[in-house]
Amino acid sequence: MLSALLLIPLVGIAAIGFLPGTIDPKICRRISLVAILATLIWTIWIGIGFDPTAPGMQFSEFVPWVPWMGFNYHLGVDGLSMPLLVLNGVLTAISIASTPGDLHRPRFYYTLMLLINIGVTGAFVAQDLFLFFGFYELEIVPLYFLIAIWGGKRRGYAATKFLIYTAISGFCILASFLGVVWLSGTGSFDYAPLRSAGLPLGTQILLLVPLLVGFGIKIPFFPFHTWLPDAHVEASTPVSMLLAGVLLKLGTYGLLRFGVGLFLDAWAYLAPWLAVWAAVSALYGASCAIAQTDMKKVVAYSSIAHMAFILLAAAATTQLSLLAAVCQMIAHGLISALLFFLVGVVYKKTGTRDVNVLRGLLNFSRGLPLIGSLIILGVMASAGLPGMVGFIAEFLVFRGSFSLFPVQTLLCMVGTGLTAVYFLLMVNKVFFGRLSEVTIDLPQVQWSDRIPALILSVVIFILGIQPNWLVFWSEPRIVSLVTEFGQPQAGLLTPGNGMGDDRDLGFQPIKSEVTQ
Amino acid sequence: MLSVDKLEPSKHPLAEYIHRIEACLALLEDTPVHVVEVVGILKSYGIILDAYSRNLIYISEHQFLNLFPFFKYFNGKVTFDRLLKHWNHDRINFEYAEYCMKSMLWHGGGGLDAYLDTPEFAQNAEAAIQARWKGNLFMLGLHKLFPNFLPEQVRVMAYYSGLGQFWRVMSDMFLELSDLYDRGEIQSIPQVVQHIQDGLVAAAGNPIVHQVKLGDRVYDILPKSAGLTFLMDTAVPYVEAIFFRGTPFPGTISYNAQAYQIPFDQSIFNYGALYADPLPIGGAGIPPTLLMQDMRHYLPEYLHEIYRQGKRQEDDILVQICQTFQKSMFCVTTAAIRGLAPHPMDTTDLAQQRENRAYLEGWMNRFVSSRVVAVNS
Repeated sequence: MLSALLLIPLVGIAAIGFLPGTIDPKICRRISLVAILATLIWTIWIGIGFDPTAPGMQFSEFVPWVPWMGFNYHLGVDGLSMPLLVLNGVLTAISIASTPGDLHRPRFYYTLMLLINIGVTGAFVAQDLFLFFGFYELEIVPLYFLIAIWGGKRRGYAATKFLIYTAISGFCILASFLGVVWLSGTGSFDYAPLRSAGLPLGTQILLLVPLLVGFGIKIPFFPFHTWLPDAHVEASTPVSMLLAGVLLKLGTYGLLRFGVGLFLDAWAYLAPWLAVWAAVSALYGASCAIAQTDMKKVVAYSSIAHMAFILLAAAATTQLSLLAAVCQMIAHGLISALLFFLVGVVYKKTGTRDVNVLRGLLNFSRGLPLIGSLIILGVMASAGLPGMVGFIAEFLVFRGSFSLFPVQTLLCMVGTGLTAVYFLLMVNKVFFGRLSEVTIDLPQVQWSDRIPALILSVVIFILGIQPNWLVFWSEPRIVSLVTEFGQPQAGLLTPGNGMGDDRDLGFQPIKSEVTQ
Repeated sequence: MLSVDKLEPSKHPLAEYIHRIEACLALLEDTPVHVVEVVGILKSYGIILDAYSRNLIYISEHQFLNLFPFFKYFNGKVTFDRLLKHWNHDRINFEYAEYCMKSMLWHGGGGLDAYLDTPEFAQNAEAAIQARWKGNLFMLGLHKLFPNFLPEQVRVMAYYSGLGQFWRVMSDMFLELSDLYDRGEIQSIPQVVQHIQDGLVAAAGNPIVHQVKLGDRVYDILPKSAGLTFLMDTAVPYVEAIFFRGTPFPGTISYNAQAYQIPFDQSIFNYGALYADPLPIGGAGIPPTLLMQDMRHYLPEYLHEIYRQGKRQEDDILVQICQTFQKSMFCVTTAAIRGLAPHPMDTTDLAQQRENRAYLEGWMNRFVSSRVVAVNS
């Protein structure tokens, strides 16, 4: 079943490939949209059949690939990857739908978009380290071209920088994967056997550090972040949405799946420092966002700050914080995609993203009132206002991490507070007051510019007031998702945690015998 | 250009507009599009003014000293159907008319304002107050305690009536202009201005009177004997209060009076229609926006079509209406300036030309910060 998630977009690519070079870009968009919607429907079908309480991977597919090298075509889905698959489908569909209809080289563009979808989906369902690495690398190439060809004025610089950073990221991850396979002596890249390899702490630290660097670049965390603002600024709006909404999640997914899953002892050992790293990254991202004058850069730095919360939650490795990490991935994916989309509309209509030039865009006659209102809604969601999914995710992150890392959590909470500062500064400058002369004669906003944002806003609201629909995928077996085959976890499932004794939800850290 | 040839050119920053008026042209440039816009907007404005005028006169006569005039916008026809329409806001924004009335009351000026402070008015008002609250010891007792309150309400009623009578004339004038245009008799901006000027001159001496019937007796509030007339006692104060001074109103741009962001001296206010930013700055119920909303419903098709061809089409129609309305108000102002000029603009007497020049430069000093350049660009 899971292979179909990779095959359907591939069929879409083949269909686009057979089209003549002079084809109307809108037909290419329609075909790729059909392919991606079919994939999304299939993903939902899998989600309907998915049992959150069942142990281990579901819908597994195993085909020996290169046995003598230990490579297997092994796919599977669990509560960690299931919500991310849905997010990937939704955001890819919205990104394709919001692509301009008069695009040049449309066949190549939509092929790359579908390839990214395949790469991300493959990475989320791969149960073989080498297969994961292959899919992880697969999405880099299309993204490079998407920035380099359809990007802004400095697209060449941004794309090259992205490529260099992610190449280093890939190298670090590959080094770690090769190390764990060789040092564990399993002779296979299959994920499940490696989780119970029982490597010594020193070896685990040695292997975890490059993995942290590799995924730290991808997410990204300070000081590996400098490629992201450039990539976002130069990328077109649909690509920015995918980048922030889905592609960065590959990094956090990798941290949870492989960092915590394969090197639990080392993870627990380094956890306080990881939490410090999260706090530094959150505060750094927020501080930089305050200083920005480009709306897209504000959102990009905000992204850096909010992705750091996932590291904090992952570092705490309590049941609640792990659940929070999943929630924050989804929440950030939706909110950042919404904000990047809306900033893209502002840029499309005004020709600038400079907060010192834009003013009064909430003007109901000549401005962008609905777009502006949705941006205000988006920044409220990002700042963690109750009623929206951002609040649920951040509340869970802080609630789940505070008992273990109170100082680091408080610092991250300051980072959340700063979200309100930099976003309100931006909103105040751009949307209030009188329209500036350069934006006094804006063109009409079409419904095609509004509908994607409205859909995302509705989802942000619905998951904010009904968070059970977000957590039910992962909650029942959140701990086993990353530690099932690891060392014994003495602090786990401790009753009397204040959230209901009969629930697998607690605040105790997952610790192995070594760290105890 | 005869008079300009004889006089040296003006060195005023708005000399171009001085020369235009001296050449019997208008503050608004004469273009075919301007003619369509001005006539079209004045037609819809005429329809609205008709409704405003009837309502103001109705309130002044039939809601006289009614402290809780819940149905003052119904013109005496209160039905459940009209009530539903009112609540659904399917109606004309009569609040805008009251806003203008209050602005006139506040800025004052002219014979009407002066008359309302005379002993004769106080006597008339007192008689009406006694008749209105005859037998009501509570109200008469309150009147004894607060003797200035009810007379002030009578002054407000007098302004309701005065503005209603002024707009009655203007409404008919604008609708007649539209009819002339439809018959092909109006083809240029100077013709528009001339029509308005003729209308103002023709009605200049019309008496402004206000009577109310209380019980069986009719009480004079503004008697004919007061000698109040249309032009000097309502039209000129109206232009001063609404076109020039106006009032600031809060929106996304707020004013801090204590920080002197609003002039201390209200005579140098410049928040009027000729200075107003057509871009609504936000906030609900801003009075100029109410007028644009009303006019939108009565736009002639030829004008509506021009708006539909705009970049934002119907999205910014209120802004487009406001911009056009400002153009038309500069035509009305031109007519008023010409009508009040010390000498005809086509005079050949150099001394009279000089007097006209000084008179015009005085006006133009007030136009420096107005939208006169913007509406012509």
